[in-house]
Amino acid sequence: MRLALHAEWTKMRTVASPLWLLLGTVAATVALSAVATSVVNCTARGCGGDTTKLSLMGVYLGQAPVAILAVLVISGEYSSGMIRTTLTAMPRRATAFAAKAITLTGVVAVGGTVAVLGAVLAGRLILPDLGDQALSLADGPTLRAVFGTVLYLILIGLLSLGIATAVRDSATSIGIVLGLLYIFPIISGTISDPDWQRLLQQIAPMSAGLAIQATTDLHSLPLSPWAGLGVTAGWATAALLAGGLLLRVRDT
Amino acid sequence: MYKNQHETTPNRKLTPMSAAEIVVAGLRKRYGATRALDGMSFTVRPGLVTGFLGPNGAGKSTTMRVILGLDAVDAGTALIEGKPYHSLRHPLNHVGSLLDAAALHPSRSARDHLLWLAHSQGLAARRVNQVIEQVGLTSAARRKAGGYSLGMRQRLGIAAALLGDPPIIMLDEPFNGMDPDGIIWMRGFLRSLAAQGRAVLVSSHLMSEVQDTADHLVVVGRGKAIADAGVADLIAAASGNRVALRTTAGTHAMRVLGHAGAAVAATGRDTITVSGLPADRIVTLLNQSAVPFSEVSAHRATLEDVYLELTRDAVEFRAATQSEVSR
Ligand SMILES: Nc1ncnc2c1ncn2[C@@H]1O[C@H](COP(=O)(O)OP(=O)(O)OP(=O)(O)O)[C@@H](O)[C@H]1O
Ligand SMILES: [Mg+2]
Repeated sequence: MRLALHAEWTKMRTVASPLWLLLGTVAATVALSAVATSVVNCTARGCGGDTTKLSLMGVYLGQAPVAILAVLVISGEYSSGMIRTTLTAMPRRATAFAAKAITLTGVVAVGGTVAVLGAVLAGRLILPDLGDQALSLADGPTLRAVFGTVLYLILIGLLSLGIATAVRDSATSIGIVLGLLYIFPIISGTISDPDWQRLLQQIAPMSAGLAIQATTDLHSLPLSPWAGLGVTAGWATAALLAGGLLLRVRDT
Repeated sequence: MYKNQHETTPNRKLTPMSAAEIVVAGLRKRYGATRALDGMSFTVRPGLVTGFLGPNGAGKSTTMRVILGLDAVDAGTALIEGKPYHSLRHPLNHVGSLLDAAALHPSRSARDHLLWLAHSQGLAARRVNQVIEQVGLTSAARRKAGGYSLGMRQRLGIAAALLGDPPIIMLDEPFNGMDPDGIIWMRGFLRSLAAQGRAVLVSSHLMSEVQDTADHLVVVGRGKAIADAGVADLIAAASGNRVALRTTAGTHAMRVLGHAGAAVAATGRDTITVSGLPADRIVTLLNQSAVPFSEVSAHRATLEDVYLELTRDAVEFRAATQSEVSR
């Protein structure tokens, strides 16, 4: 496993696209968060809402490059045929797949942390001075939201890796992942029945997982922050299992 | 701890000739309705270059994928040094292979491609530089592999196959895309690998290259081996005890030799192939009957003759002949 990890890490760092996609995640996250925090109406008494959630809003956009990076990690090998070289060098497919997942987790954790901290910093700088209500990582719920958002990005990466391993084609995989992330919220927006809407928000990978960002009004949420992240983890687990299983049984 | 074995390359101990390095037995494999392998069996021995020949679609690449554990079979076994490929702990130290030279990330450099492979086997980066030099890619090693010509990619693939200094080398059509210099290099290179005691399996459609390179042949057709023998034996068998005769008086010569009990056939405008009579007897007979001739020589079949004869019934994809087209 150590050797497989070393090999996957070497692969990751010897092409430019992962770095660019991670920078894309940082830029998109910080930029959208900056816009969100600069348009909100604040008074001396506060900003009338969840400022933590607001300043973490950038991951709506920042997750897309993470998903693309994760898809390319495996589908790029299928499109060139390099997957055969990989499996010739590492014939234990479960090990090879795990090494990819762990390497991806590592780089998304680093990129995601930079992105999320950048977004919080932008929020702090942009939002008016709120005294003791100011964004602070010393605040328990804010710390949970920040840490949980990094975990969320990792889970989106793993979900994408699993799907791409099952599907094998880059464009199709990216389409499925982005559809899964962004179409659920659109559908739930068009549904008028509140029960159905709530259900969709509880099962969709993005809206459920981003419950981890809420720091105020927790009981009005469709599900609690950690339960929400758990739903996303369930999606990621299912995708990894499906992809890993297919990788083990299929010809290459 | 893993011990780097590369310093020992030139003194590699010769494995006993009897121990087969690759043993393929009774492989069967279907892709949907296509029967790709249909009882494929053969062995690849150390110290020899084994040519792997057969028409398009005969199952050569599929067999190689099965040996490497990339494709699963419906029946049969493929063993490397007695073990299935997936059970090898550092597989590249046992088998070096090149299936598809295009299977590279286009924006990764040759050096980095070899580097991740080296890391996957616990090999040092120093080894990467050695194999790059060995295949003559040093000046291009830091360029993106996507910009390589086919011949350069073949060289990179060969470098990857050599990385673990394996006793077994398996190459699928390595001559493809090579320039004449490259082909000559490849020939000598394959010979030297075998001379070091390695087992070398090479598929190719280039008969003359195989004839000059291989010691042993496995000819396959429709998913199974139809010949498994030494190159010299196969050519000798196909040559028979025949004599090639060059003469401008073809009909006369055929009549004279036919009378003496030989089987004669015109094989060219002024050449005749004679079997059943030794060359000196042919010369005497022709002189007695005053038949003019310019050359009498032992007929020697080429590998191409052998191959075409063996695979005549196994060719699946054949271009229509002129008469079939006009019909
Ligand atoms: N992945 C696959 N899916 C479906 N059919 C396949 C697959 N791989 C091989 N085949 C079929 O199996 C048969 C054997 O193919 P293979 O590539 O092994 O032949 P080959 O001897 O290498 O031919 P060539 O000399 O053209 O390279 C062919 O009929 C081919 O169409
Ligand atoms: Mg082939």
